[in-house]
Formats: sequence, structure tokens, C-alpha cells
Amino acid sequence: MTETPSKTKTGLISPTRRGALKTLAAGTAAAATMPLWARYTSAQSAAPIKIGFGKHATGIGAAYGRWYERTSVAALAKINAEGGINGRPVELVTEDDGTDPRRAAEVLEKFANQSDCDVAFGTLFSHVVVGAAPRAGELKLPYFVVSEGHHVASGMLNRWTLQPGITDVKSQISAMAPFLTGTLGKKVTMIYPDYAFGYDHRDNLAPAIEAAGGEVVAKIAIPPTETSFTKYFPQIPRDTDVIYHVMIGPAVLTFVKEMGEFFGPSRPEIFGFIDSLEATDLTSPGLEFLEGTYFWEGNPRYLQADAPDYVKAYRDAVGLDENGASVSDPSDVSTSAHMFGCWETLHIIKAGMEAAGYQSTADRQKLVEAVEAMSMMEAGPAHPQGTKMFNGKTHQVFGPQYISKVEGGKLSVVKTVPYEETIYPDEVDYTSMSF
Amino acid sequence: MVRRAWIWAGLAGLLPGRVLAHASEGAFVLLLPTDAYIAGGVASVALTVLLIALIPEARARRLFLSWRLSAATRRRGQMVTSALSAALLLWAVSQGLTGTQDPVHNPLPLLVWSGMWLFLLAGQGVLGDLWGWLSPFRVTAALPGLFGVRPLLRYRPGWGYWPALASYLAFAAVLMVHIAPTDPDRLAWMVLGYWGGTLLGCLLFGPRWLLRGEGLTLLMRLFARLAPLRRQGGAWRLGLPGWDLERRAAPRLSLAVFMLLTLALGSFDGLNETFRWMGWIGMNPLEFTGRSAVVGPNLTGILLAGPLLVAVYGLSIQAGLVLIDAGGFRQSFRALAPAILPIAYAYHLAHYLPAALVEGQYLLNMVRHSLGLPEGTVTTGFFNRQASVRVIWLSQATAVVLGHVLAILMSHAAAIRLHGSHRRASLSQAPLALFMILYTLFGLWLLASPRGA
Repeated sequence: MTETPSKTKTGLISPTRRGALKTLAAGTAAAATMPLWARYTSAQSAAPIKIGFGKHATGIGAAYGRWYERTSVAALAKINAEGGINGRPVELVTEDDGTDPRRAAEVLEKFANQSDCDVAFGTLFSHVVVGAAPRAGELKLPYFVVSEGHHVASGMLNRWTLQPGITDVKSQISAMAPFLTGTLGKKVTMIYPDYAFGYDHRDNLAPAIEAAGGEVVAKIAIPPTETSFTKYFPQIPRDTDVIYHVMIGPAVLTFVKEMGEFFGPSRPEIFGFIDSLEATDLTSPGLEFLEGTYFWEGNPRYLQADAPDYVKAYRDAVGLDENGASVSDPSDVSTSAHMFGCWETLHIIKAGMEAAGYQSTADRQKLVEAVEAMSMMEAGPAHPQGTKMFNGKTHQVFGPQYISKVEGGKLSVVKTVPYEETIYPDEVDYTSMSF
Repeated sequence: MVRRAWIWAGLAGLLPGRVLAHASEGAFVLLLPTDAYIAGGVASVALTVLLIALIPEARARRLFLSWRLSAATRRRGQMVTSALSAALLLWAVSQGLTGTQDPVHNPLPLLVWSGMWLFLLAGQGVLGDLWGWLSPFRVTAALPGLFGVRPLLRYRPGWGYWPALASYLAFAAVLMVHIAPTDPDRLAWMVLGYWGGTLLGCLLFGPRWLLRGEGLTLLMRLFARLAPLRRQGGAWRLGLPGWDLERRAAPRLSLAVFMLLTLALGSFDGLNETFRWMGWIGMNPLEFTGRSAVVGPNLTGILLAGPLLVAVYGLSIQAGLVLIDAGGFRQSFRALAPAILPIAYAYHLAHYLPAALVEGQYLLNMVRHSLGLPEGTVTTGFFNRQASVRVIWLSQATAVVLGHVLAILMSHAAAIRLHGSHRRASLSQAPLALFMILYTLFGLWLLASPRGA
């Protein structure tokens, strides 16, 4: 159980700091010194722990799925090299969910009933999580999602669904407001796609901006099928200090190019979410205009000068070059802002299973309870994105958020918002629900 | 709360449950001057219409003559290669049922959707009838005979190619409507079902079933007739692509309709990913919710695409006959249908080129894995650079334009045979030529459109 959060002067909620989970680091150092065959022999069962990986192998999430797989495979290689989980090797059992909620629910059934997986893991797209989570509850299958959707913390899911390895969009957006108003300017114009994704930004940012002493002077919603944007730019008020944009889809390069043509050399400050350009090379044509603008990043894409060794080790393990692209093809840019969540979640599953003394699928409930009992997760090899605090009641982790500036076609981190400043009041207590 | 952020709307859906849709490509395509490219492409096809009407009649008549290159030895060993292919497919099916369920690593979806559907079908139109060597069904069709089982029923001539059309439609439904066509275990059962159905057809009607009732083999054979180098009358002959279709008698009505269906389904396969189509069916292209959400619209689409194309094509034919005050609609309808095949083939090439660039890497990895070699890291980086996206797009557009140019030439040559004179042929072809020019526009528009599924 987490401890009761306390109010802070900012009005946000801050937890009481707890020590790191001892099990996180326990045993790994000792195990790593043993030969592979010896590492697993102390376990009661040498059968592998099976982690059902619901992969977006096809459908609109496929590019994410590919990088989620690479990251997960790298994480398991590390975990196995360090002795596995409770002395047992760990393996991924991959099923394609087609980025489709109906198939994702079927995939969970296969994990539980056919392939005898211990847990399910890895779903990214929100509509897939929302469609599949109820089935996880029925199957009593621990379901570790890496989605960054607010659906977990909002209380719409269940006791068996957890998001301990990636922060949610609500905390991300609200954490940006102080920087926007404090550094870039008080008057903010939002440009967002006219559907649920855009509304999340609209509804979460505006109150946070006002709380930080700023003002949203215009909200420009753009139809999802729009491919030319010139007619919308005149709607931007002249006194705008900052443009906050979250355009996505195939027209995003066009959007940036046309915005650059509209403003010319004199433009307001511009702030965006990297989701718009995840896996896109920032030196692409049309993006020159982004030079000097700012982005939220879930995890820095470019290797920063002051990156600690564990960050370098994580990037090397996944196969990233300094620009966050594949070491085998510099044009193959990763989904850096999201995929670290797979690495961290797998380490949390390991920590949870070890804390619970997990032996078999009969211990699934113990595993969920052990993860719910987690709180602080210190930055390190298991948590390269940074120090986090897990809220067992809401099943959601809170972590650092990065604000980066485009300089010379690369993203340089200019501010790191610590997890404490990203926390909002609990909206649910899953621990009060029955299993 | 809906998951946010993806800019690769582009290629998803290119293959059934397309693998690796990284449509930064789509974003780069929107930055290309595609309007100018499209205008150039359409103008090229229109110019072809003019040129073919202006060249001397004798030359027009000789367009599709072929040259004898050398004597062709008898085909030997096709049954052996077919048996090997069947063994490979059986192994892949077993892998589908028991191997990894990740479609980009399991041999079954890789062999069926990438190896056969994507690459082999593309190879047919250039290299000729590879399927004759690699079809697992050839040996299947021979099995009953090997055991002395004679066909149980007589295939009635009146049935024509309609059974093949039905099985092709079933195949297309898996490709475009089924919610998980690349799922290895489900695909294994579907392959076994199709294979079993083919065996049953051959048991009932003999090997003839492969030619009349099995849609894939028919499609493969039709595309193979577009190849410039063909075997005919004991010799290898070379000619303009399509010469082997031009020399044949007009196809039967059912075969003509099958030919039209190849284009109709190929077109719908492209259309159903566009923002425009998504708008029609009320789907937000930026949060496409998966194939299970579009089963109804896609099923409706593949059922309506055929009749719609047949109707428009038929109207063009009839209008042409009215212009020259001639009859014989049915004969013209049949005789001109083969000219649709190069367009359908070009659509296949253009539509699947980006997918091939990615799937090919997985297929190669599968081969390397089987040989115990280290696998390469699959990349989609070429979708991330303006220069490579431009090359890909222009290659696709070139295929579409060349397909239409060939279609114009083929239909003109067929019209000369139908109507006797160059002038009457040109006049009768005007409406069909207009149809083809507009179809070029449609095809290039498809390539340039933002996609979201």
C-alpha cells in the first residue's frame, strides 16, 4: 500500500518518500557472477517464467510494436543474464493484437488459457488497453500496460491492470504548464486535433495553465482529416506568447512547414509533444522551422552530454545510437519517448515476483499485491528514465518529464520536471476492490 | 482516453493486418509535389490514346506480334518442385500451429502473405509462370490420379470460371475483411481449409478444377500472360508485355468478369485505407480502431467493388459501340477485358511496393534463421527520408502509368480485331480510353492520398 499523500503548497499532491524496494537490486549482483546453468538451479522450478507480450505487430501501432519488442527483448536478455526471476529464466510469449481491442482481449485469453503465461504485458494504444483490460480482470491475469493513457489512474479499469513503467498523459500535460507560463509566456494558444486525443490536452492543459498564472487565449481544433492548415493560422491571436501544438497523423510535417511559412522569421514561442514526431528524424524537410522550439519528451531521444552510465547501458542494450536511431540504420528513428516503459515494466515485474516469492500462476494475486506495495523506484539500470514513485492505489507511476529544445536539429534537454511536480490527486483506490 | 500520437498513418493495411506501418512515409508523400506528378502521369496516358490513334494501321496491328527466340525444351520436374512446395507449406502450417505467434517471425504468414501473395504474384507478370513450378496445388491435383481415383463428377462447361471467382472472393475476404489474417494459428487453419477445398474440387472434377475453380491459380496464370518472354508452340517467344493475352481468343464471360474483379478488388484494397474512405464510413483516420471495427464496411466494399467496376466498364464498352453504330456488346465486353489485367497488375506492384521493402527483410531473416545465419535488424528508415520516399512514390506511379499505357495499347489492338479498321477501333475506344485516363487519375490519387488504416 502507498502511504497517504500530503498536500503541498502548489496544490498538487506529493507522496511521502519511501525507500527503494529492496528487492529491486537484491540478488542480481551475486547472480551475475554465476555461470548461466548455475543461476537457475536454486529455483524450485527451472521452468521459465512466461511473459505474454501483446505486441502491436500489425495495425496502426506496428512501428511502436517493433521498438517495444526490441526493448523488451533487450530487457529480458539483461534480466536473464543477471539470474532471471527467482532463479528462473524468463521468456516472452509474443502474440499480435493487431492494435485492435477485440483481438487484444483474445490474446489475453490465449496467454491465460493456452500458453500458460504468468502475466500479460506491453499494450500501448489506449483503445486496445481499454478493450482488453476487462478480460484481464475476468481471467485474473496480471496485466502490465505500457500505454501512458490516463485510463488506469482514472479508475475505469480494474485491480488486475497496472501501469507501473510509464507515466500517464494527465501528469505529463499538467507538468508542462509551469514551464510554459514561467519561461515561454503567459498567453497560450492551443492547436490540437478535434477528437478525444486533442481534448485530453485541451482539458488538462487549460486548468494547469491558469493555475500557473497563465491564460489560454485560443483553442484551435483541427478536423482529423485536414491536410492543409493555412486557413487556421489566422485564428491565432496576435498577442499569443506561446503556441502549444499536438498535431498528429501523416499531415504533421505539412502542418509544421505551413506554420513556418505563415510566421516567417518572427514567431511566438512554440511548444509541442514529441508524440507528433516520434520516430521521425528532426532533420526532415519542413522541420527546419522547429529549430529553437520546445518539446515534451517522455525520455530524451538524443544522448545527453550528462547522461549517466545506466542510461548509456540501456541505450546500448536496445541498440540506439546517439541520435536515438537504430545503430544499424541511422534513418530508423526509435520510439524513444515510450519504449523505455517496456524496459522498466519488465524490471518491475521481476521485482514484484521476487517480493511476492512468485512460484506459479497460483501466485498471481500475490504479485499484484506486491506491485501495489511498491512506491519509490530509484533511477538506475532498472529505471533509466529516472526516479519514479508508484501509486499502488491508482496503479499508476509518476516520473520525471523532460522538456527539450531543438538545437541544430537535435533535442537538448533544458528542463527536467521531477516526479513530485507531476502528481495529481487520486481518482481511484484499486486496492479497495476485490480481486 | 485515446492513445495519442502516431504519424505513420500510412501503410497499415497494405497487407492484411499490415506489418510495420511506418508512415512517416505518408507524411513525406504529402510534402511531395504529387499534383504535378499526377498531372504528368495522366497526360502520359492521354497522349498514348492520341498516339495509338495516329500511328499507321499496319504498325498498330503489329504491336503485339512476338519473336521466336529459341526452341523450348519440355517442362520437366514441375511435379517435383510442386511437391517440394507442398512440403514447405505443410511445414509452415505446422509452424503456424506450434511456432511463435508473432506474424513477423512465423514462417507461415511470411511465406503466404509475403512470399506468395506479395512477391510471387509480382514475379508472375515479369518472369512468367513461376507458380506453375511453385504451386503446392499442382501435386495436390495429381494425387487422386496417383491413387487411381478418377474424377467423380463431370465439370459442366456452363459453369465456366465462376467457381474460381468465388474462391478468389473468399481469398480477398480474408485479405481485406478477416480481423486477423496474419495470425499464424488461424492462418494455418485457413490454409488447410483452402487446400482441403482444392483437393476436394480435384477429387470431384479432376485437375481441371485448378484452372476453373481455384482462384489463386487462375490469377497467377493470368498475370503470367503479361510477361514479355513466354513459351508458346514449343518455342520461347518475346514480345510486348501482354502479347500472349492478345493472341488468344476472347475470354469467356466468366473469365472476363474475373479479370475485371482483379482490378476492382485491387482498387478497393487501396481505397479502404484513405482518409476519404474513412470519412465515408465515419472512422476517424487518426484513431483507427482496428480491423474488427471495419468488418462490415470492408465486406460491403469488396462485394460492391466488382459489380461497380463491371457496370462502369460495360457502359464504356456500350458507349463505344454506339459511337460507331455497331452491336456485339457481349463480344466486345469479353474481348477487351484482358486489357484490364495490366492495370490490375500495376496496382499490385504499386500498392505492395512499400510493404515489400519491409516484409522482404523479415522473409530474408526467416531464411537466414533457417540456415542458422544471424538475422539482420529490420529497418524502415527508408520511409524516413524525403529522397527515398520520392523514389518509392515515383516507382509506384510509374508502375500505375505504364499499366494504363499498356492497357490502352492492348484494348486498341483488340478493338482493331473486333471492328476491322484502325479508325473504327479508335472511335469505339474513346469511352474506354476516357475510363482508363480517369482510372489513372484515381490510381495516382490513391498513392498520393493520406492514409489512416
